[in-house]
Amino acid sequence: MSITSHDKRTITLDGLPEVGHTHARHRIHQQRKTGPKHRAVRPAAVESSPRHLVPHTWILTSRILRRWGRDPTSMAETLILPVALLTTLNVVLGDAISKVTGHSALYGTVPLVAMVAAMSGATVGGIGVMRERTDGLLSRLWVLPVHRASGLLSRLVADGLRIMMTTAVIMVTGLVLGLRFHQGILRTVAWFFVPTFFGVAFSAAVVTLALYSAKTIVVEASAIVWALLMFFSTGFVPLDQYPGWLQPAVRHQPMSYTIEAMRGLSLGGPVRTPLLAVLLWSAGIAAVCAIPMAIGYRRASMRG
Amino acid sequence: MRNTDKAVFVAGLRKTFGDVVALRDISFQVVRGEVLGLLGPNGAGKTTTVDILSTLTRPDHGYAEVAGHDVMSDPAGVRRSIMLTGQQVALDDMLTGRENLVMFGRLQGLKKSHARSRATQLLDQFDLVQAADRAVSTYSGGMRRRIDIACGLVVRPEVVFLDEPTTGLDPRSRQSIWELVSDFKEAGIATLLTTQYLEEADTLSDRIIVIDHGTIIAEGTADELKARTGATYCEIVPRHLKDLPAVAQALGSLLPEHYRAALTTTSDRISMPAPDGPKTLLEALYHLNAAKIELLDIALRRPSLDEVFLTLTSEDSGDRYDARLAAEALR
Amino acid sequence: MTTTAAARPTTAAGARPTPSTIQQWWVLTVRVIMPTLRNGEVVTQVAASVMFTVGFYIPLKHMMGMFAQSMSSYAQYLMPLIALQAIAFAAVSAAFRSATDSVQGIDRRFKSMPIASMTPLGARMSASMYRCSLALAVSLACGYVIGFRFYGPVAHTVGFCLGVLLIGAAMSFVGDMIGVASANPEATTHMTMLPQLIFGLMSAGVQPAERFPKWIQGFVRNQPVSQFVYALRALAGDSTPAAGAVTWPVIGPALAWVVAYAAAGIPLAIWVSRRRR
Repeated sequence: MSITSHDKRTITLDGLPEVGHTHARHRIHQQRKTGPKHRAVRPAAVESSPRHLVPHTWILTSRILRRWGRDPTSMAETLILPVALLTTLNVVLGDAISKVTGHSALYGTVPLVAMVAAMSGATVGGIGVMRERTDGLLSRLWVLPVHRASGLLSRLVADGLRIMMTTAVIMVTGLVLGLRFHQGILRTVAWFFVPTFFGVAFSAAVVTLALYSAKTIVVEASAIVWALLMFFSTGFVPLDQYPGWLQPAVRHQPMSYTIEAMRGLSLGGPVRTPLLAVLLWSAGIAAVCAIPMAIGYRRASMRG
Repeated sequence: MRNTDKAVFVAGLRKTFGDVVALRDISFQVVRGEVLGLLGPNGAGKTTTVDILSTLTRPDHGYAEVAGHDVMSDPAGVRRSIMLTGQQVALDDMLTGRENLVMFGRLQGLKKSHARSRATQLLDQFDLVQAADRAVSTYSGGMRRRIDIACGLVVRPEVVFLDEPTTGLDPRSRQSIWELVSDFKEAGIATLLTTQYLEEADTLSDRIIVIDHGTIIAEGTADELKARTGATYCEIVPRHLKDLPAVAQALGSLLPEHYRAALTTTSDRISMPAPDGPKTLLEALYHLNAAKIELLDIALRRPSLDEVFLTLTSEDSGDRYDARLAAEALR
Repeated sequence: MTTTAAARPTTAAGARPTPSTIQQWWVLTVRVIMPTLRNGEVVTQVAASVMFTVGFYIPLKHMMGMFAQSMSSYAQYLMPLIALQAIAFAAVSAAFRSATDSVQGIDRRFKSMPIASMTPLGARMSASMYRCSLALAVSLACGYVIGFRFYGPVAHTVGFCLGVLLIGAAMSFVGDMIGVASANPEATTHMTMLPQLIFGLMSAGVQPAERFPKWIQGFVRNQPVSQFVYALRALAGDSTPAAGAVTWPVIGPALAWVVAYAAAGIPLAIWVSRRRR
């Protein structure tokens, strides 16, 4: 749109020739016959059909990932702080725990820190939603003919990918510190994916909270929750260190189950029960959050 | 109830937010290729109207149809046909201009390669090639508006909603947006333009709707609205202030008595009604020339759209005030 | 169509009111505090203090108690760290708030008003101190529940509280500067809990420095959190002499670290104000 150009500047619009052509009318007729392919689908079907959910979600997810990539400070913090925590816990509690349990503390500490990394990073997504609501980007995306659930799903998928990345970094750190996998390749791969279940469920809870309350509350409340779960999980100290009346709570909380499942997949021990429990917890939290989250997201995108 | 020849069809819209009645019975139409200006002060209901038409809000009562799709029963169809730019530039400002364009293209169904070529095309046409690969957060106000509109044009819309598109822009950027609106016209796209700038409404719109407090208080072309408020008048500015009484005298019967009486010691010009337009002007010149009075300026003027607007909105509030007084008297 | 000079609008007094710095400071402080009363930040601060108490005490009581510290109870040993963690939480919230503010551009608005440039900062600091006091009070209450007591004279008890608040002030100041300088709320959220946990665990607050591996003992003993903990433990006192005496070798380093920490915020403050201009 340069003001200095003397020719009549024209806008090319999809499916329509440039205005100002002498053969315009002829070309219009031609173009109408072979209209753009995407017009063949009914509009309402696009916004609710599964066939479009995946591509739309993926496009929006890659947008979020690109954003995160452009914020190196946050990225660095997401990776470095959990590594520091793992090293610290290992130094402070490693010996004491291995004396009590008889094997390396890492089997519990590494899954613990993987979960902490997953959960502490969830606030970034929550804050992001709130910012985009204020900026009007959510409304802009709502007015596009995309699948209605793709915006919300893209945030959860992006978080899932973030969790996998942090788990990978923690896994490598654990290996460096002395963690060893004794249960074979398949179980090691399963170990890698376990934090994602409860991690994404927690992200969903954080996003739901973000859609209904102030920024500072979201950040502070999430931090308190994951810290509480961390202190009272079997990955922090062994179960028998807790007073008897507290032990059932410690044993049945989702972070403990995640840690036990991962311990079973790396060292040995029960896997099916804790894993099932993790899935139940995750599904439960996701189910509780699903409707408020959808309503909140819709309200954040629309205006009244 | 389909009126597919109308790009936008609105009947009896009503919307309340809590206690505030934002819209009270709004009805209008826009045909293809037409530019409709929605004029009104802040809080008049312009943005609410646009929100309803772009499916961001649901009306409490009434019917609205965009490009043949009912906003209530077929919002997806509406979304497929429109382009919306709001007062905020709503883009992902950590992505580059090009990335934003590609994303919008893909979200509207274009294949990746097609989206990319379309992005390059639009960047060129909107003169953003230099800045294409910089984050949008680094763009100036005018550039952001351009990329915002470009993102809406990746796929051809049938109806364009421009919600105060030139607010806060420098004159050059404003000019380029204005040219864009004429392009829409020529491409047969219907445009609904909300603005506070009367000059903008005047220049760009085929028709203007004046909204105040949720109702339409006037509708018509810019000229029709101006004519409603007052007739043409002739303004005479003498070179020497002291000649003013002489001018008044020379004009004789052309200048009605109460205009003459309105002159004060600080007046620097005379305005007189010009019912015959240019003919009155010629007569005035003839008289003034005969009296050998030197003039600085003499011109025919119409009331500005500012005056139209102020009159209409004060008429409106005046009526309402009277109505309220009457209602209270009855209690 | 003549124009006459319109009367310039004036206030009733005929002149523009002179803003009072104290009043501005108060207004801005209230501005920061009021929302917290409404949206539950008081609740989160209280919850955080409680969480740190139970989180450090309950799981570690047996394990650390096994290796006797020679203090009367693990609660007595742990209390300073609990207070410090609670204060740090309050300070980071300050950082997050100022990062959010600077992104929203409120700071720029204030800069264009006749407000002394220190006033918004002063107001934010006051609000932080309010939160820190709350954090301290709740921590002490929780400490009392798990068995912590003040054994020293009143002067030492006051010194304990003032010391904690002083540390909180320094952390709030630096946190605020970081928030304003980075203008990146997302990045600040990561700082809410992890850094303080890391430094807290890697200090003499949880277990004596001697119990750490040799190669890291030096760091553990000399890092600021440990120094704060030593000083606060001495000020709180104990029924046994193991808490340490309130002498300059114990208190001095802690004070030095507080000053150094606060001083670290000054270059940031200068950089921020220069960048703005």
